[in-house]
Amino acid sequence: MSTRRQFLRDSAGALIVAWRWSSVPLSAFAPATDTALEPNAYLRVDGSGEVTLWVTRLEMGQGVRTLLPTILAEELGADWSKVRIEQASPGGRFKGIELHTSGSGSSSGAYRRLRTSAAAARDMLIAAAAKAWSVETASCRAERGWIVHEPSGRRRSFGSLAASASKQPVPEQPRLKDPASFTLLGKPMKRVDGPAIVTGRAIYGIDVRVPGMLFASIERAPTLGGALVRFDADAALRVPGVRHVVPVTRGILPGVAVVADDNWSALRGRAALTIEWASRPGPPFESEQYLAALPSACDRATFKVRHEGDAIAAKEAAASHYDASYLFPFQAHAPMEPMNCTADVRADRAEIWAPTQTDVRTIAQIVKVTGLPESAVTLHCVMMGGGFGRRLFADYAAEAVEISKAIVRPVQVTWTREDDMRCGYFQPATAERFTAGFDAAGALTALIHKTTASDLTIYDIHDGRNIWTAPPKPARGADDYEKDQSPWGAYDTPYEFPALRVDCADVTSAVPVGPWRAVEYPSTVFARESFLDEIAHRTGRDPIAFRLDLLPRDSRKVGPYTIDRARLARVLEQARERTGWSTPASARPGRRSGRGVAANVYHAGSYLAMVAEVSVADDLSDLRVHRLTTVVDCGIALNPLGVIGQTESGITWGLTAALLGKIDFKADAPVQKNFSDYHVMRIGQMPELDTVLLDSGASPGGFGEHPVPLVAPAIANALFAATGIRVRQLPLRLNQRPA
Amino acid sequence: MAAFTIIVNGTTHRVDADPAMPLLWVLRDRLNLTGTKYGCGAGACGACTVLHGDRAIRSCTMTLAAAAGQSFTTIEGLSPRGTDPCQRAWIDEDVAQCGYCQPGMIMTAAALLRANASPTAADIDTAFAGHICRCGTYTRLRAAVHRAAEYSK
Repeated sequence: MSTRRQFLRDSAGALIVAWRWSSVPLSAFAPATDTALEPNAYLRVDGSGEVTLWVTRLEMGQGVRTLLPTILAEELGADWSKVRIEQASPGGRFKGIELHTSGSGSSSGAYRRLRTSAAAARDMLIAAAAKAWSVETASCRAERGWIVHEPSGRRRSFGSLAASASKQPVPEQPRLKDPASFTLLGKPMKRVDGPAIVTGRAIYGIDVRVPGMLFASIERAPTLGGALVRFDADAALRVPGVRHVVPVTRGILPGVAVVADDNWSALRGRAALTIEWASRPGPPFESEQYLAALPSACDRATFKVRHEGDAIAAKEAAASHYDASYLFPFQAHAPMEPMNCTADVRADRAEIWAPTQTDVRTIAQIVKVTGLPESAVTLHCVMMGGGFGRRLFADYAAEAVEISKAIVRPVQVTWTREDDMRCGYFQPATAERFTAGFDAAGALTALIHKTTASDLTIYDIHDGRNIWTAPPKPARGADDYEKDQSPWGAYDTPYEFPALRVDCADVTSAVPVGPWRAVEYPSTVFARESFLDEIAHRTGRDPIAFRLDLLPRDSRKVGPYTIDRARLARVLEQARERTGWSTPASARPGRRSGRGVAANVYHAGSYLAMVAEVSVADDLSDLRVHRLTTVVDCGIALNPLGVIGQTESGITWGLTAALLGKIDFKADAPVQKNFSDYHVMRIGQMPELDTVLLDSGASPGGFGEHPVPLVAPAIANALFAATGIRVRQLPLRLNQRPA
Repeated sequence: MAAFTIIVNGTTHRVDADPAMPLLWVLRDRLNLTGTKYGCGAGACGACTVLHGDRAIRSCTMTLAAAAGQSFTTIEGLSPRGTDPCQRAWIDEDVAQCGYCQPGMIMTAAALLRANASPTAADIDTAFAGHICRCGTYTRLRAAVHRAAEYSK
C-alpha cells in the first residue's frame, strides 16, 4: 500500500527527482555497437556523425523535449542544428530510468545529471582525438560537432572519432563546462516540436492509429461511487458500426464500453445503452454543505506541520489577536486533450500508447490488468495535450487495456469532454485558518496556521481497492506531515515570525482527489498571502514593506530546504520598483482601482513576487484584472523563452482559479459538465502580463507550476486595495457592499 | 448510413456514414486527418476548427449531411510545406506549449487574416473568443497573429 509520503513524492514531489536522475550509475549502460559512442542511455554519437539525444521526461507542454536535449547538446558540444531528438520509452535502453514527470522537477533534476552524462561522452571524444594527435587532452575542446586542438587548429569530426572514443574509459565524474561558456543554455530556444504542431503532424495520444484498431466510448456510473447493476446491450449492438459492448471495471468508476469502427458509432451506441446503476450507500455528497463545514475542520488540526517557538503561549500573551479563514473550491484539470489510451493486448504481450505523465504507474496498471509479466509489456509514452497532474493517474490506461484484453483487438478509448470533467481526480477543496497575535504596540508576536489536507492516495485505483467502500487507511502519525514537508506552502513558509505554529487536519469526502498544478501551494499561498495583506493593513503597514520586514536576508533551513530569503526580498523589491508601487493605481472613470502583491518560494528553488492591478465598477460589478507584473528568480534560466512561456502559462492557470473555475457537486455528481459551464480563461479576459526574469545564477528551480499560487492572492489583495472588501473564497466574487 | 461527397484540402472524398456524424469524426476517423482535434464536442473550445471556404467553423458541430458537397481546409492542407504566414508566425513567436489546441487556433487566424488584413488587438480577441488554450498561450498568440498579418503583406 502506498503511503501518503510515497505518493506525494511519487506523483508530485520534486524531492524524489534528484534521486531518480542519479539512480543509474553512468557506467552501467551497455552500448549496442562499437562503431558508435554511447557511454550512457541519454545520447549516441554515430560513426556518420549523427548525434541522437533522448528525452527522458514526458512532454505535456512544459518544454522538456526542447530543454533536455539542449542541456545534453550544450555539454557535449554538439551542433544543435543537426541533432536528432528521440523520445525515450520505458524499459530497454532506459531500464532503470523513470520517465515520470511531475512536481516541476525536470529542469532542476536534469541539469546536473544530463550535463554529467554528456560531459562523459565529450571527454571520451576528446581523449580519442588527443590520443590520435598525441597531444594533451587539456589542449582540446568540443565545438559544434568537432573536437578542436587549440594550439594547432586541427579538427576532427565527432563521427570520425565515435568508434575510437567508444573504447575510452567512461569517466565517472567528468568536468562540467563553466556556465559562462554556454552557447545554448541561457539562450532563447524555440520549441523543437513547433513545426510538427503547426502543421498538424504532431501525434498526441488521441491521434495514435494502429492497424485494425477499433474505437471505444465508455458510459460510466453517473454518481460518485456508483455501481453497475445490469445493462442491456441489444439496442447499442444494432447501431451500425458497433462491434462489441463490454463491461469495464478497472477505471475510476465502473462502466460499459461500446466498441465500434469509429468514434461516432461508439458514441451513438453508447447513447443506445440501457443501464441500471446503484448509488453508493449514505447521503449523497453536496459540495455546498461540505464547503460550509470545512472551516470548522481547522479546529481539528492536530497534525504537526511546523512549530517554531511557542506560538500558542505567544498568542495567549498577546495584547490582541486577529484571525481569518479562507476557502479553496474543488477544481478540474480539464486538459485540452481529454483522457484517452490505445491498447493492443494479446495472449502473450501487450502494447500500449498512452499520453501519460507516469510510465511507472501506467506499467503497473497494465501488468495488473493483463496478468502479463512486465517484460511482455511495451508502453509508448506519447505527447500529451496537457497534463496538469491528471495524467499522473493511470485509470484511463487500465480501461483501454481491459477492453482490448476482452475483445483481443487494438482499441482506442477516447473520453468525451463530459467524461473528462465528471470523472476526474479533482483538486481537493480546502480551508485554511490564520491567527495572528500582536503586542500592545501592534507588532506581530505569533502566527498560527491551521490548514486542511486531503490524502491524495485514498482514491487511487493504483492499489486496487474499491475507492468508495475500502476501509479507512491506518491513522497517520502525529508528525507525518512534517516528515513529508507537507502541505506545500504551509510547511515551507519563507517568512520569519517571532513564533510560528502550522498544524494540519485531514479532511475527506466522496470526491476523488489528486494533484493539480502546484498541488497544495494554490490554497495555502492564497490564504497566507491574503492574511499577511490583512494584517499589514490592520497595522497600518505597506504590504510590501511588511513582507520585507519578515524576510531577514539569510539562508533559512527548513527541513531539507534551504530558503534563500535575500532572493525573495529581491524579487519583491523589483516588483515594487517596476510597478511604481508607491504611486496610486491608474484612475479609471466610474471605477475603483487598486494594486495587490503576493510572494512565494517554490520548493526553495524558484522565488516569485507578483503585483496585480485591478479595477471594479463603482457599483462593484465587472471585476477586471488589468496587469500582472511577475518577477521570477528561478536561478539560471536554462531557456528564457521557455521559462517566460511557462510563467505566462502558470499565470493563466492561476487566473482561472482566481476568477472563474470551480467544480460544484450536487447529489453525488459534478455540476459543471463542459467548457460551457466550467469557465476557464479565454483571450479577451487576459490582463497585460509583464514577466521579468531575474537571473541570480543559482541552480535552476522548477518552472512548470511556480506562478500558479500567487495570482489569486495578488488579485484578492488588489481588490481589497480598490474596494476595502476582503474576499476570502475562490473564485473571487464581490457580493458585498463596500464597508 | 448514406454516401456523401466532401472536398477536403482539394481532394474529393466519398464517405459512407451516418448523416449525423460530425465532420470532426469524418476527418479524424474516416479520412485519417488527425490534425483537427477533439476538445469538447459542443463548439465551446475551438480545437476542432477548420476552414469552410474562407470561414472558420467548428467541425464538431457540423454534420456530414450539412457538409456534403462542400469544400474544407484542415491544418494539413493550409499550406503544402507548413509555410503559411500563420504557421511561420506561430513558430517565430514560439506560441505552442502542449500544442493540442493550436491547429484550431491557426485555422481561426488564417480565416481572420483572409477577412481582415490588419486586425487590431480587439479584432483578435473577438475572433478567438470561442477558443480555449489551457496552457495559456494567449499573449504569444496575439503577437503571432500580428506577425502573420505582417508576413501576409
